[in-house]
This record gives sequence, C-alpha cells and structure tokens, in this order.
Amino acid sequence: MTADNSKYINYETLSSGDLISKRSYVIDEKIVNDYLSATQDQNSKQITEDIPSMIIAALGLRGVVNDLKIPGGTLHVGQEINFKSSVSIGETLKCEAHLLSNTVRKDWRFMSVGIEVHNKNNSLVMEGKSSIMLPA
Amino acid sequence: MNEGDILKPIEKTIAQDNINRYAEVSGDFNPIHIDEEFGKQSQFGKNIAHGMMVAATISEIMLINFGELWQSSGKMKLRFKSPVYPNDTIRASGFIKKITKSEKTNDIHCVIDISSNENVVISCDAFVSTPINQETI
Repeated sequence: MTADNSKYINYETLSSGDLISKRSYVIDEKIVNDYLSATQDQNSKQITEDIPSMIIAALGLRGVVNDLKIPGGTLHVGQEINFKSSVSIGETLKCEAHLLSNTVRKDWRFMSVGIEVHNKNNSLVMEGKSSIMLPA
Repeated sequence: MNEGDILKPIEKTIAQDNINRYAEVSGDFNPIHIDEEFGKQSQFGKNIAHGMMVAATISEIMLINFGELWQSSGKMKLRFKSPVYPNDTIRASGFIKKITKSEKTNDIHCVIDISSNENVVISCDAFVSTPINQETI
C-alpha cells in the first residue's frame, strides 16, 4: 500500500513491509517555535542550537497519521525512538514509514509501523517504531 | 553521575491551546484531541492530549541532564498508559537505573515516568551513552 487520495483505507489489505508514507520537510524557525510553544519547552533553546529532537519524531509520525488516515478513536500505545544525529534549522528531512505488523484481536486492530528519517545526505537521523490500536 | 541519582523533574499544566498548537506542528488533527464535542462522545468523555506532546517533556529532561549527546544518540521506549486531559498538570521525574561501563563509554539507563493526578500516564526507559570523562554537560 502507498498513500493515496481516497478517504478511507481498508486496513485488512495492508501487509508487513507495505510503504505507509513518504514525505519530506524543510525545518524552519516557525515549526521550531510552534513546537516549543506547544510543549512549553523552556530549556532546549538554552542548551542547544539544534532543533529539539522530538520535532523529528513528530514529523516522522505526521505521515503515518495522515497517510494511514488514522480514524478518530485510534490509540497510540507505544513508541520507540532512536536518535542518530542532531538536526539544524534549514535542513531537509525525508521521512519514510513501513508497516511492520497488522493483527486483529477482539474489537481492536493492532498495527506497528517502522519510521526512518534521513537528512539530505541520506544519513539516518532518527528511527522508530509506533504501536497503535484502531477500532476494528 | 551514579546509579540512583535523581534527574531534575519538570512540571507543566497542559492547556487545550497547547494541544491545538501541537496538532498544527504534528499534523495530527484527530478529533479526539481538538474537537470538544467528539471528545465528549468518546470513551474518555473529553479531549485528550497527544501522547507525543506529553512525552516531549521526557526528551527535555534528558537534554537538560545529558546535553547534546541526547540529541545525537539517545534512545527511548515509551509506553502510553493513560490519557492526559486539558488542564491536567503533569510531572516528569526519573532516576538513573543503571550505568554500564565499557572501554570508551558509560551506557546510562534512565527510568522516567510522567504522572498526572498521581497516576503514571507515560513510562519510559531512556538510554544515552556518554564518553568516559564526559558524563554530563
């Protein structure tokens, strides 16, 4: 499966290895300031000139949320994140997400999604795994 | 730093406005976060904050305690246990559980919880490696 323009996705058809999302973003000052304001983070800017690493994670998840067309009522139950490199304002990040597993138990569908974020030099800056539960 | 050392805690009150701003940053406009009526009809009875927005405080704690090493080599494993609601006050606190010394690094395992109303809402195992003789910022 790849991202498409349809409103709904038949999650039963998704298999391990499917490409869920492929997006790129340019990190600008606005997104950093918006993130710091949203999270009430008053420390990061005083410690590092690089962007707070959780912005990378948020952008990595953005494609998953939107291209997987996650419905209301979905629960994010677990998240693993490995930061590999700092990122500066002005850098371009390329985010890819692949389905790792897709199972149904009782009334819930359990999906895990692997996320990789690379910079423009194709160096890995973050990898992660999201675990979500969707109403089946 | 030593095993058992307490990490500097952080406390914040989450407003609906913070949640709305995080929706813009993350692109996650799930109505469970931002639509008051949807929240009322949900199993939670009200809107809930994005888990990753709440978890950002854990990364903030690690950055405060370990500096830029956290940004370039930190690892975290998060378990979202309970929702955080608008106007909840969260407290992130943790300690160093284990330090494993190798030839060139100290591999530090921290345990950090975020609590709200005395319930743990997120638990986290966080890992960072510091070069020998450069344990903290």
